[in-house]
Amino acid sequence: MTQPPVIEVNGLMRSYGGGRTLLGREKPVIHAINDVSFQIAEGETLGLVGESGSGKSTTGRAVLHLERPDAGSVRFRGTELSTLGQQGLKPYRKHMQMIFQDPYSALNPRMKVGRFVGEPLVVHGVDSGSSLQDRVAELFKLVGLDPSFMSRYPHEFSGGQRQRINIARAIALQPGFIVADEPITALDVSIQAQIVNLFQDLQDQLGLAYLFIAHDLSMVRYLCQRVAVMLRGRIVEMAPTEQIFADPRHPYTRSLLAAIPVPDPDRVRPDRPPFDVAANVPPREAPLIEVSPDHFVLDHQVQ
Amino acid sequence: MTHFLKDLSRSRAGLFGFVLLVVIVALALLAPLLDLPDPTRGDLRARLAGPTWQGLFSPGAHPLGTDEVGRDILSRLIHGSRMTLMVASTAVVLGGIVGTVLGILAGYKGGFIDRLLMRLVDIQLAIPLMLLALLVVAALGPSIRNVVLVLALTSWIRYARIIRAQVLSLREREFVQSARAIGASTARIMFLHILPNVLTPALVVGTLELARVIIMDAALSFLGLGVQPPTPSWGRMLADGRVYLSSAWWTVTFPGLAIVLTVLSVNLFGDWLRDYFDPKTRSAK
Repeated sequence: MTQPPVIEVNGLMRSYGGGRTLLGREKPVIHAINDVSFQIAEGETLGLVGESGSGKSTTGRAVLHLERPDAGSVRFRGTELSTLGQQGLKPYRKHMQMIFQDPYSALNPRMKVGRFVGEPLVVHGVDSGSSLQDRVAELFKLVGLDPSFMSRYPHEFSGGQRQRINIARAIALQPGFIVADEPITALDVSIQAQIVNLFQDLQDQLGLAYLFIAHDLSMVRYLCQRVAVMLRGRIVEMAPTEQIFADPRHPYTRSLLAAIPVPDPDRVRPDRPPFDVAANVPPREAPLIEVSPDHFVLDHQVQ
Repeated sequence: MTHFLKDLSRSRAGLFGFVLLVVIVALALLAPLLDLPDPTRGDLRARLAGPTWQGLFSPGAHPLGTDEVGRDILSRLIHGSRMTLMVASTAVVLGGIVGTVLGILAGYKGGFIDRLLMRLVDIQLAIPLMLLALLVVAALGPSIRNVVLVLALTSWIRYARIIRAQVLSLREREFVQSARAIGASTARIMFLHILPNVLTPALVVGTLELARVIIMDAALSFLGLGVQPPTPSWGRMLADGRVYLSSAWWTVTFPGLAIVLTVLSVNLFGDWLRDYFDPKTRSAK
């Protein structure tokens, strides 16, 4: 990589539970994410895939410090974020945004969408008054919405439109990096492609870098330059997209790849034993090893 | 404003409640301007006179009858509504503001503040409200200000509990997370993102509370701890008239009816207002 990465994550940890209950019983500690490390270059998309509960969303939130990581470092364009307080983080929030999974609960039902999209500009004192209105109208056009929708309430929009509104809000401050937490999962298949295209167009126009969280690999293939696969809080494999599709090394990655549906009714899907997560819990201490340039696999079951 | 009236005219119950409430409030406000007999001056020759339509417009007529010392019931009702409405609405608004703010604070901040406030609510719920009210009024002395304070004191916990529960679920919604992601301050999140979303339940609690507080105010007056005689109040009238219930029904029926109608109008109007403030039902015409 010639440019410095926009985001550099090292040894990120986040666990829940612990402590004792009222009766003195110990609560179990759950390691939601465990020693997660990756980098994302300017304008690059890293796909983060894995099953529910594998720690993908927690990783996304911990990177943005919406949830404080227990340990590890997150650097944004070289600045360490983990040591900053809420006030110290505010200037960086301008450059890092999040798009949420559920377009229904991501919009404030009592706020007109125009105001909602313009809110980041107001919070950071970037814009106000009529120039704010102009800017919001511009954002609406950018994401493919009619600016006359600005004075409507969220419930008047469809899922796809709502996700466009969320995207407009996320790009309002012209961030360099966006965490997209399963942004298309809740949408109709026909709408999914539109939104994925919108992500791509915006990346071309604005030079955005994405951490694109998904639980299946099919959309990731079209959108991401690199893919990281998570299992039980650890990254088990990370490689350039073609590489991971051509030569998956970890059994979990293979299982995910085999699960991608093929739109061909004549093709018989080969029988395969279901992947047994319980028997393949990645050990906490195992290191990632580089099996080929830029292709990392967790060293417990390299095949 | 035109939108408000247009929308209101579409709901029969809401319109009825609104009109009734306007009439009641207007009567209360205009009471000194109306040509009514002095509500505090008795006429012992005309004590416990029944309602009559005869000579309705002649001076000295008592269309709703008179009480045990010959005071005009209609006049006492209208003058009494001033005190009842002022005391009840002030108490409900005061309790509503305090309860909503504390409920949001407890729900959003959580931790120590939440535990402190909710234990306070628990403690207060363990004491019968009427006993609490009696204790406070007895300690501070019966004055209008103290009655308002006591009623607000019994009211805030209901708001706080319900608002807190709402906030607990709102807090986890993605738009609140999104507000944190853009770097919005806690105050901004609480007042711009949370508050508008709890106004509906607050309003519903408010209309129920107004009804409850009117009755509680009447009860305090009934026990002699509310508004002091000779100032007329509905609760007082009920208390004084109950002795004559079997012989002079009008002494309690009309004040009772006044309370019922006021509470009814508030509930009907409040119901409609709740829908009006919800953008979802407002545009679904």
